[in-house]
Amino acid sequence: MLLSFFSHLNEAIGSPLVLSTPMAARALEILFAWSASIQIFEYLRMSHAMHGSGLWVWRIQRADIPNAALRQLFDALYAEPVFKVLLWARLLALVSLALQGSGLINVVFLFITHVLVLIRWRGAFNGGSDFMTLVVLTGLLLAQLILNVTEGSLADADLAWRACFWYIAIQSITSYFVSGSVKLLRPEWRKGQALTIFLNAAIHGPLPEKHLLRQTWMATLASWGFILWECAAPLVLLDARWAVLFCLMAALFHFLVFWFFGLNRFFWAWLASFPAIVWCAGQY
Amino acid sequence: MTSFWAIAYFLLLLVFLIYKTPHIQGPWLFLLRSFFPNWKFFHAVGYVPHLYARAAISLPEGLLQWTDWQHLYPRTPQRLWHLFYNPETNLALAQQNMVDHFWADLNDLPESKDPRLLVSYQMISHFVEAHLLEKFPDGTHHQFELRMLLDSPTETVHSHVMMTSPVVAKSCS
Repeated sequence: MLLSFFSHLNEAIGSPLVLSTPMAARALEILFAWSASIQIFEYLRMSHAMHGSGLWVWRIQRADIPNAALRQLFDALYAEPVFKVLLWARLLALVSLALQGSGLINVVFLFITHVLVLIRWRGAFNGGSDFMTLVVLTGLLLAQLILNVTEGSLADADLAWRACFWYIAIQSITSYFVSGSVKLLRPEWRKGQALTIFLNAAIHGPLPEKHLLRQTWMATLASWGFILWECAAPLVLLDARWAVLFCLMAALFHFLVFWFFGLNRFFWAWLASFPAIVWCAGQY
Repeated sequence: MTSFWAIAYFLLLLVFLIYKTPHIQGPWLFLLRSFFPNWKFFHAVGYVPHLYARAAISLPEGLLQWTDWQHLYPRTPQRLWHLFYNPETNLALAQQNMVDHFWADLNDLPESKDPRLLVSYQMISHFVEAHLLEKFPDGTHHQFELRMLLDSPTETVHSHVMMTSPVVAKSCS
């Protein structure tokens, strides 16, 4: 059944399941634009937490900035109306990325403003999803820098996207591999206890009394399933079919992380890295 | 050749995960930490910092009448459409991350230094005051505590207080 699925997929995409460079680039740009746009719409709604009685008041946070001149610059930049303009400008740049593709101007702008937004939130707002957003942006920036330095000749365009995809794919696969390996090294994860403890402390409240993941055997089974799957992530580079299957499972995994932990940004941020993984796996 | 480099990279990564590397700190490294992701999600189980706060009303005889300690631990409802738009949950998660950073700052603070000078302390204090003012508008004083809770799969098995703030009178602003 699995073989038949792959043969149908091969026929649909072109044997042997190789994603073309332009197709992978467009998929990556559109998925990234979608992911980062969701983040911006959410930031626009968070004004109440950044001013007045909110937790993230710049008046206090500005002491984090060690340099006086930069502190003054950030004072101006993080004033409510200016910061809002910055977010809307980011949204425009993302629309141009989705509709027209990446160029040096929109990518450099998105890169710099992403870092500025992160500094506003003391370096990271949502942890992992901020990191992965920066990884994809860095990949796009790498491609644009190479393209512009080499004046976009066809051979160099291939090199530019190759650098972009490999950078993103290695970082994305590393994220699964490291996340799985550190759990494998912890006895509380190997025994299944950690999963239940983290789920009980999650943002949506503790698991219901009768929930299956409160059963030790089920929590152990699920933990080992996640650990082994994450540790096996580097193997996806051996075959594009494995990469597609891995990405489908990863999407399900991130959906579960969203459902239990509320981390919606992780789902989209990692999804944006999948075209790079599938492209790299198709190069062998 | 590419496969060789890929295998070598992941083996090297494994070595670095097993052996502890020095922890480098600095204000800019903290603000730009997104450039150095460690990808270690939900890995260690142990004591977790939780924020507690209480408000008081000043009685005519000069005493303070305190409320019970409030556990400021965010909880939000689970909705499918939050996959596309989830600002309140993300803010709540950021709040708890902030408490984690506050704990880390306290942990790293030299004995002789006043925690009130920490940016994280000031942010938490400001947040607590606003939160309590909303919940107890008549409150005249507030105080907060950072408690460390150790959970098992079924219950909290141990807790201790890491820090109790001084009692602070309501600011005029």
